Amino acid sequence: MTKPKQLLEDNVGKTVLLLANESIARGVLEAGVRLVALYPGTPSSEIGNNLTFMAPHIPNFYFEFSTNEKVAMEVAGAAAVAGVRSMMVCKGPGLNVAADPFFSLAYIGIRGAMVIVVADDPSMWSSQNENDSRYYALMGNMPLMEPSDPSEAKSMLLEAYEISEKLELPILFRTTTRVNHTRSPVTFGPIRDRPKTIEFVKEPFRFVPIPSVARVRHPWLLKQMELAMEISESTKLNFITGSGDLGIITSGVSYNYVVEALSTLDIDAETLKLGMTHPVPEKMISEFLKRHKRVMIVEELDPFLETHARRIAQLNGINVDILGKEQGFFPRTLEYTPRIVIEALSKILNRNTSINWKAIDQKAGEISGLPPRPPLLCAGCPHRATYYAIRVATRGKAIYPSDIGCYTLSIAPPLETADILFDMGSSITTACGLAEVTDQDIVATIGDSTFFAAGLPGIANAVYNQHRISLVILDNRTTAMTGHQPHPGTGVTGMQEKVPPLNIAKVCKGLGVKYVKTIDPFASLADLVAAVREMTTWTRENHKPSVLVSIAPCALLEAAERRKTGEIPPPYYVDSELCNSCKRCLNRLSCPAMYLDKETGQAVIDQTMCNYCGTCIAVCPQGAIKQEGAQK
Amino acid sequence: MKSNTVNIVISGVGGQGVLTLAEILAKAALSDSHNVRVGEIHGMAQRGGHVVCTVRIGAGARGPIIDPGTANLLVGFEPVETLREAHMIREDGCVLMSSYIQYPIAVSMGKASYPSNKEIISGIRKFTDRVLEFDAMEMAKKAGSSRALNMIMLGAIIGTGLTPITEEAAIDAVRSTFSKKFESINIKAVKMGREKVENLNR
Repeated sequence: MTKPKQLLEDNVGKTVLLLANESIARGVLEAGVRLVALYPGTPSSEIGNNLTFMAPHIPNFYFEFSTNEKVAMEVAGAAAVAGVRSMMVCKGPGLNVAADPFFSLAYIGIRGAMVIVVADDPSMWSSQNENDSRYYALMGNMPLMEPSDPSEAKSMLLEAYEISEKLELPILFRTTTRVNHTRSPVTFGPIRDRPKTIEFVKEPFRFVPIPSVARVRHPWLLKQMELAMEISESTKLNFITGSGDLGIITSGVSYNYVVEALSTLDIDAETLKLGMTHPVPEKMISEFLKRHKRVMIVEELDPFLETHARRIAQLNGINVDILGKEQGFFPRTLEYTPRIVIEALSKILNRNTSINWKAIDQKAGEISGLPPRPPLLCAGCPHRATYYAIRVATRGKAIYPSDIGCYTLSIAPPLETADILFDMGSSITTACGLAEVTDQDIVATIGDSTFFAAGLPGIANAVYNQHRISLVILDNRTTAMTGHQPHPGTGVTGMQEKVPPLNIAKVCKGLGVKYVKTIDPFASLADLVAAVREMTTWTRENHKPSVLVSIAPCALLEAAERRKTGEIPPPYYVDSELCNSCKRCLNRLSCPAMYLDKETGQAVIDQTMCNYCGTCIAVCPQGAIKQEGAQK
Repeated sequence: MKSNTVNIVISGVGGQGVLTLAEILAKAALSDSHNVRVGEIHGMAQRGGHVVCTVRIGAGARGPIIDPGTANLLVGFEPVETLREAHMIREDGCVLMSSYIQYPIAVSMGKASYPSNKEIISGIRKFTDRVLEFDAMEMAKKAGSSRALNMIMLGAIIGTGLTPITEEAAIDAVRSTFSKKFESINIKAVKMGREKVENLNR
């Protein structure tokens, strides 16, 4: 909860506690970045969340929440081509969306400087995969850097802009969740000025990669990467600490675990810490491998550095044992811990671990059967009402293609309305595919921000190819899951300016959808059920796509608003005279604000958690759930 | 290096203020010139699910991660969520646990059962004998707001004397973080938490 205002302070030498994401937002100021474009995605979200509130106070600075990552890459890429410093930010899967312009940017290069921040998510805390984005640098021939903590996230970012400018190439700046979401002391440096505007000097036979141009640019790119290699050999971002028989090569957050593990075990080793990991410093690594009989490679996810080390050893005829993932010393999945490094070191050096973890694991295993507590749709979430209605209207028998957002949580019982998901926007397009090969009804759901990010081509496809799909658009007026960023439908920009919002229903009509209706999910649950039933019937009879837009603000926004105004509605309660303990409310809605009183066997509403949506009233067959002071 | 690092694991339910407590602790530690690391989990994990945060204070802290069996303090906002992280605590570590229960949905739906207080305490005692239990929700309400639960836990942490954080530094961090509106409730809650643990330890 560092305030964006704090990140604006012109106070060189001041040390504050920052997330790496906040440190990167500060770095934007210190590097003189002129333009930042991004689509929010955890674990990168706080970069944009801070920049949007900083932006109006920074002279000659532009920030936008782009409609998706491909758009963001192109907006930021063009600014860098023109000649300023720019930044694009995304989460790991977001770079997949932006892959097309990513490769072009490397070929044509840039005149200014550009950093592409990609936040990978080992352990998949909030992502659909734990892809290792470092391979993009390898495939696209783009220099790559990996900071290990919040302080380095800023110092390395400043260096990245210098190197980008020298090479005329964007830098892929790869973080991981445990860097993005670690908070540690960071010291402010001076703020750099930005140009107001620059002139775009035309050079079409560089910046338009038609085949004849691209054929010239590819060798140029490979030559630039040779220069990048020279930088990698001499930069302070690649450095050696300690000494000893054992060699360790590491990068990113794993470096911290190596330092801690060596300290815990009181072991000497020579550690090569790589900050610039593409191109890797071949000579430096070659000399390092020559000095050791055994070299351990510590990196999360795929054996990226390990494969380089094996390649370099083979090329230079070095006889060294490279110990990494290939022999099973380290896992290829999930994030690392000091323990993983300590256990590998203990195995390699044939000694005991510092702590008897086997005994701890065994004791932990004895504590089984604890009730799980997975993340859930919040109390008062409008999606709960909509999904309840979809389930009732289709008797749970339709196919429910889902999408990326809070609403994917409807996968859990009792809503169980998520059957298939690939990526952003796939609710609509998977529905199209399923509609052609099944006879089942199909009700897809997509959120408002995801709709603008990746839903439009799917809608056009469904209209053009006449797919019989029903689509419910869950419009909660924000990008909820990633921390409530605005989107084209909200009427607020990244610069915090008010603009005319895009109307989702009108957009769908404009794209040619014949059946478009809107509804308030909290107005009447019976009407909501009827509306879903009507649309699925229409779709079946007309063999065309239909859209229902279900509009109600995110419960967290509503709760924040209540805290601000202090206006609290009368509480909801269960009338114990009328409740017959059927548990229908608990079993059908799974609202976190309701629980079972063990003594009475009746449902109870937890007043500290209720968000006053009132959906439960209509679910109770006894009429036992009431709001205080409401008319009978 | 490791011996002078104080490792704190904070476990609770999304929305209880676990992340905020971690940040306040770290702010207070930094203001007294201690090196500090906080490990947070955002996004999906905040939607009413189990949330764990780590705070590490001392020169040896480099990364945010605390390994099983190395936490000096386990701060549990809820009984089951305390037991879920009990393996993190050192044998000589101390567990602070609020006894106020928030039933997981699986329990409300009758698909899982909530362990008894006896089962929870004996589970934690497999790892350490030092367990201090109190109803932080009731105390928070007494202080003026159920949302001050994390401030009760902040006071309780200071009350253990296991961290280098002073009450003055903690209250300064609280003052600089929250709006004036809740200042007196928050500070009252911090003091109540500290006194509670000091009395339990007596």
